[in-house]
Amino acid sequence: MRLAVDNPMNVETSTLVEGIARVVAVEDAQVWLVPEQSGSCGSCASSAACGSKGIGTVASRLEMRRFPMENNAGLVVGERVVVGIAQDSLVKASLTVYVLPLVIAFAAGLTAQSVYGSDLVTMISMAAGLILGFAGTWLGARRISAHGAMAPRLLRRATPGETCRID
Amino acid sequence: MEYVLLAVSAALVNNVILARFLGLCSFMGVTTRIDTAVGMGAACTFCITVSAMIDWAVEHYLLEPYGLGYLRTVTFILVIAASVQFTEAVVRKISPPLFQMLGIYLPLITTNCAVLGVCLLLVEGKMSFIGSTVFALASSIGYSLVMVLFAGLRERLVLADVPRLFAGPPIGFITASLLALSFMGFSGMSAH
Repeated sequence: MRLAVDNPMNVETSTLVEGIARVVAVEDAQVWLVPEQSGSCGSCASSAACGSKGIGTVASRLEMRRFPMENNAGLVVGERVVVGIAQDSLVKASLTVYVLPLVIAFAAGLTAQSVYGSDLVTMISMAAGLILGFAGTWLGARRISAHGAMAPRLLRRATPGETCRID
Repeated sequence: MEYVLLAVSAALVNNVILARFLGLCSFMGVTTRIDTAVGMGAACTFCITVSAMIDWAVEHYLLEPYGLGYLRTVTFILVIAASVQFTEAVVRKISPPLFQMLGIYLPLITTNCAVLGVCLLLVEGKMSFIGSTVFALASSIGYSLVMVLFAGLRERLVLADVPRLFAGPPIGFITASLLALSFMGFSGMSAH
């Protein structure tokens, strides 16, 4: 079983964004993973006094992002593994979530501005455009999810001391 | 044409990072890889634009009419935090997998001074609603552009044979200064 993890299962790793996750629970045939912190926030010298703690620590945010995965490799609680997501999926996801609502909101706002020329009407139109954009995001996300592109793939067990590259 | 000039000015000539020196934490911290820079740039673009829209309304319908200008900074910070939390909640609700992929960037934006800086600049500029929104969008596109450019340079720097004393952040800072110098080439194109 271990071999299944140590071999990347014919996955083309050069196009994957890798991250390290820790197994926090095992349920039947699946495991729950929590990604390890990969950004610089929280690891700097002033992290203890950082203002971002007021809205939730990085650790608690990571806990919110726990995700399931099939346990084909006999993983146990506490193990660290390297998971990967296709790089183009990450870009597609960013565009779907953040850019699509903005584009629709701007189209609505510019149309309203050119027709009515009123700030208030433009504002309401842009707000409506944002809501419409989020509906589009919901549809787009369903489409991406249907292809399985957003599901992280298990690449290998992390070696002791292996971390995300931050230098 | 007015909006195009405004956008070019905000994105390139008065770039948030390299000309106004805002958002430097994320500029150095999240640009180790292109994919993280793209994620952070897109999240920032959305949050800066939405915050600017709300802040414009708050300024024109609340702070200015009632003479509460001295509360501007505090109010804007509150609006930014609320809009980031709202965005996070919406993304989490409409697509949990997308939230798992992208949600990590959102809390970092709340304390990103570029967001507050852009909101304060558009009040200073006394722009219309659509003008201020275009300004915010262009500023954040400029921010994202520089983040991705710098991430690309840093990915190449990892492979470069850098003298030991300059390895890591020092060569990063030198590269950032050269990037800022190159952006000075846009000076003189500004309409504002």
